[in-house]
Amino acid sequence: MYNGIGASAGIGIGSVVIVKEPNLDYQRVTIKDASAEESRFQAALNATIAKTQAMAEDMRKRVGEKEAEILEGHMLLLMDPEMTGQIVNSIKENLMNAEAAVEQTCNMYRDMFASLDDEMFQQRATDVNDIKTRLLKDLLGVEEVDLGNLPENTILVAEDLTPSMTASLNAENVAGILTEIGGRTSHSAILARALEIPAVLSIPDITNKVAGGDKVVLDGDKGVVYVNPDDSVVAEYTEKRRVFLEEKAALQKFVGKPTETADGHRVELCANIGKPEDAKKVVECDGEGIGLFRTEFLFMDRPQVPTEDEQFDAYKTVAETLGADKPVIIRTLDVGGDKEIPYLNLPKEENPFLGYRAVRLCLNREEDIYRPQLRALLRASAFGDIRIMVPMITCVDELRRVKQILSELMTELDAKEIPYNKDIKVGIMVETPASMIMADAFAAEADFFSIGTNDLTGYTMCADRGNPDVAYLYSAYNPAVIRSIERTIKLGKEGGAIVGMCGEAAADPLLAPLLLAFGMDEFSVSATSILTTRKVISLWTMEEAKAVAEKALTFVTEAEVKAYLESVAKK
Amino acid sequence: MVSQKITINNPQGLHMRPAGVFAKGVAQYQSDVNIVFNGKTTNGKSLLNIIGACIKCGSEIEIQCDGPDEEEALAKAIELIESGLGE
Repeated sequence: MYNGIGASAGIGIGSVVIVKEPNLDYQRVTIKDASAEESRFQAALNATIAKTQAMAEDMRKRVGEKEAEILEGHMLLLMDPEMTGQIVNSIKENLMNAEAAVEQTCNMYRDMFASLDDEMFQQRATDVNDIKTRLLKDLLGVEEVDLGNLPENTILVAEDLTPSMTASLNAENVAGILTEIGGRTSHSAILARALEIPAVLSIPDITNKVAGGDKVVLDGDKGVVYVNPDDSVVAEYTEKRRVFLEEKAALQKFVGKPTETADGHRVELCANIGKPEDAKKVVECDGEGIGLFRTEFLFMDRPQVPTEDEQFDAYKTVAETLGADKPVIIRTLDVGGDKEIPYLNLPKEENPFLGYRAVRLCLNREEDIYRPQLRALLRASAFGDIRIMVPMITCVDELRRVKQILSELMTELDAKEIPYNKDIKVGIMVETPASMIMADAFAAEADFFSIGTNDLTGYTMCADRGNPDVAYLYSAYNPAVIRSIERTIKLGKEGGAIVGMCGEAAADPLLAPLLLAFGMDEFSVSATSILTTRKVISLWTMEEAKAVAEKALTFVTEAEVKAYLESVAKK
Repeated sequence: MVSQKITINNPQGLHMRPAGVFAKGVAQYQSDVNIVFNGKTTNGKSLLNIIGACIKCGSEIEIQCDGPDEEEALAKAIELIESGLGE
């Protein structure tokens, strides 16, 4: 068994076809006729550009716009004046043959990209290698491997899946992909997911560990690969694949459907995002809004606090991507001493999770951090149903202070006649035992609650899930956590607040009946969990959910709660 | 020579797509178009060199244009960046 990075979900079962790059050996020679050699290079370059263009068009038809753009980027690289200039220069000045000139120049760029300190930029080294290979093939007249004609149930094994290989690939016959390099953001991963082919990447030396024709079973979720496994393993994974495909097909039925229980009780199903561009994925996955937009990314990996205008653009983009009728809950900055943001100059703390963080920090840094963020949020609220969520609230004074600042900012905006939503909803993240206990008081002053079960579980159980010695305590099935959730929802609703949940528990099928029975209004989950969650909710009637909740609340240990919820879970 | 400073606001910096839009957009001018970032000068008509400069979101760069149509080239360069480079 081999382990790698599970990069595209699903189970692949089939026979190995190893795809190795063709032999591109050539002799380095000193040429005599530089202008003839330059013409030979230009002819090869033109041929490569023409083929790349054809591949891009084919890719657009078969896979999608985004994937075709990668190849269009290659065309721009091939036409880059610096690169072609350098190659021609090596031919003319140093009398290198075209192959050697291409290799030397491309390697220089490849090494430059590979040494950059950002994964996104490093990945461009693959693109340069890819165009180098294609240029050399055209110079040497080497035939391309025919990936358009693979046998059925092929498990494609390669060092790396280059965009040009994928472009010519007939995906229908490919049951899985294994590579030696590449992470979750590599081209191989993105393309495998777009083509819905299970893939495991970054398996060291896999092209030498398997031979053509070997039987392989792979799990693209867990990143596990079996080579020539026993019949029992094949049978186990054949069943897993059947279940996976059946569930996937069944989920498509839930696209465009309302999120409701079997007896028609409607709830709202939203998604959590970390970057403005993630909003597109939420729309694609049929989310009904954004339940949590973390704004930390705007503040990270940069030299100073983002300007109000930069933030305004990011918030406006998300609101416009979702559309004016969809709620977008944006959480104000949630950082503290455990996250590296050098320009904030935060002191190292003994107990960062009990320290100077989130709203505590923001209210102490109103001028340079909080007011610009709140002003950007207000301005963006003119473009959609933006709602402001304040994290890490422990006392009512904090919420009052935030609302006071907001009303001052509104007066400022009114004076300048800048539009914003005067009825913008302001809510709190309920993630501390203090806010849970005071939920009735908060409900009187907040428009909505969003229960952050990740921190609420940690703070309630006093356990850091990253510490293996106490991680056993970190579980949302603890009766203390379940009762906290119940209390928050009950008091929140009695006080007129909309109550949602954006922690991982919102997507937990075992907890779904409890959350429904407690009366939760909104579930916010990762984009990929939207359809699964909609399905789980559709399986319960409110009557059944209430019976389960009533019983679950009688248990006093985590193990009992979990065992009970597992015993009544619906598939 | 004319020049102007500007901040890059593309969320993932000048990676392939936005850098391509920039290089393509300024290629039509006769003038040299250079990007100065972190003290290094990069040919703004070369996609490869722009990517190699690893310019991330929030970075301030200087655009320098030198040649017969330098004013137009600079105006175009600034317009491209301000309009988000197609993103």
